[in-house]
Amino acid sequence: MKDHSILRSARTKSAVELVMHILFIVCGLLAVIAVLFISIYMIASGGPAIAKIGVFKFLFGQIWNPEAGQFGILPFILSSIVATALSILIAVPIGVGAAIFLTYMAGKKTGGIFLFIVELLASIPSVVYGLLGAMLVAPMIFKLQTMLSLPQSGSLLSATIVLVIMILPTIISVSASSLQAVPKTYNDASLALGSSKIQSIFKVLLPAAKSGIIAGIVLGVGRAIGETMAVMMVAGNAAMMPTLLGPVRLLTVGISLEWAYSSGLHREALYGIGLVLFVFIMIINIVLNIILKKGGKKA
Amino acid sequence: MKKVISILLVLILGLGVFTACSNEEDPADTSETTEATEGGETTTGDEGEDEALSGTVKTGGSTSVEKVMTALIYQFQADNPDATIEYEMNGSGDGIKNTISGMYEIGHSSRDLKTDGTEDGLVATPYAIDGIAVVVHQDNEVESLNADQLRDIYTGKITNWSEVGGKDAPITVVTREASSGTRSAFAEIIGLEEDDATAIVASATTCDSTGAVQTTVSQNENAIGYMSFSDVDTTKVKTVQFDGVEISTETLKDDSYKLKREFYLVTKEGATLSPVAQAFIDFVLSDAGQQLVTDNNLLPVD
Repeated sequence: MKDHSILRSARTKSAVELVMHILFIVCGLLAVIAVLFISIYMIASGGPAIAKIGVFKFLFGQIWNPEAGQFGILPFILSSIVATALSILIAVPIGVGAAIFLTYMAGKKTGGIFLFIVELLASIPSVVYGLLGAMLVAPMIFKLQTMLSLPQSGSLLSATIVLVIMILPTIISVSASSLQAVPKTYNDASLALGSSKIQSIFKVLLPAAKSGIIAGIVLGVGRAIGETMAVMMVAGNAAMMPTLLGPVRLLTVGISLEWAYSSGLHREALYGIGLVLFVFIMIINIVLNIILKKGGKKA
Repeated sequence: MKKVISILLVLILGLGVFTACSNEEDPADTSETTEATEGGETTTGDEGEDEALSGTVKTGGSTSVEKVMTALIYQFQADNPDATIEYEMNGSGDGIKNTISGMYEIGHSSRDLKTDGTEDGLVATPYAIDGIAVVVHQDNEVESLNADQLRDIYTGKITNWSEVGGKDAPITVVTREASSGTRSAFAEIIGLEEDDATAIVASATTCDSTGAVQTTVSQNENAIGYMSFSDVDTTKVKTVQFDGVEISTETLKDDSYKLKREFYLVTKEGATLSPVAQAFIDFVLSDAGQQLVTDNNLLPVD
């Protein structure tokens, strides 16, 4: 005889409900606690150093010389911003162009192979990009520097080129999926009204996919600003104001380069750089959320 | 019903994994504690040579000495299974500071003690000599540089190889990151970083390791860098003479090559060391210890 009692099964059911309920709460809390812990830790360990050095001196000081007690990270901040902005400026037209090709020009088969390759590109570890940059990109820039009788060194340009290749896949795949999400009727309607294919792409489809494309760009910005290893291998890492063909040190590299040997205020200042970077990334994420929410409302 | 049972079973199994882990950890913890308590009992005097050395010695400091020091500690602990030498890597400055405060019984330093009074009351015992090689690209024609030329190159006063007898090409200055032991030793010897006028030029390419310096210089025909002699690979880079003296084991030994530094064990002046600490210092200076120093491409001290 099987046990068909409603009461019993209800009891076990509610026990399972409760256990699973608690289990999921714990899982959810773990992620929240991790974020909270990191935020508190970054502020607690980076804050004092910034206060000791002085917020203005730290953020706008132009000289980074820990041995002499000079902790100005303006060169790092500017280098990070310029490298990210430049790489976005180059990568967005290429990436959106590739997404348009992928969605409207390439056939299903070609498109599939293309997308597969793009995704492969996204999963290559950054140190490999760094190697390629150091072996292929940097020597080309060396020639350019020699032509202009500048010293051969890692440079902002090399770093930018490596970053462009690294953020392209993100921009391509996010833009492509948002273009694919545009209802086919938009295209049909615009073609029926007599617009050409290109007109239809630029006047109707791209605006309709705008928020998705912007989300892709913001994700690209996030990846570019957080990249360390690949950039460290090609940028020359000099703590000076950014010039296109001169060596630069980005925020991320600023931390990892000097981490091993630092101590005292120097190490605290590195935490301070981490805090600045953390704030940058948070701003990017908030912007991303706002864009995604706006896009969601429109659709 | 079956589902419920299977879920419960999974949970139980899952719990089993966790308990298994903690069970495994527990014995390790206890053994460590026992080791520590055993360490508390100090053996008496030097006469107790028959008795096995036991105890833990806290040491720390320079990261430049890591390779040789790790080898020395490994060998010492293999010889004395009950003795433990802890080695915290946090830079020469911290090694010396913490020896003064008494946190470390032995501090590791890759630079000599300062004479400005801040590091009085300490003894620095040298146990190895490391040469600092000035390296350039293999195709570079420059054969020798002196301290003044090096200082002018690193402060940005000399920017072209033609000014020091090379071809007409801008110099790429390669340096180590701030607070690196090699950097501070190099800077001290040729008189860099004493004030703003002698600060290393901001546009210098900065590398975070000896290997990175070598790679950067080997790929850049106009670069100049400095690195630990023990790591120089002459198939990749060319060493430049310093004041007309080529770097080699011989010139380092007879003191004719001046760009070098010593590695030190730092202890408190006049303090009685624990038997393990004393035995470790004796081991480092013994023939076996000095052989390990030589094995790690450093020069032994006499």
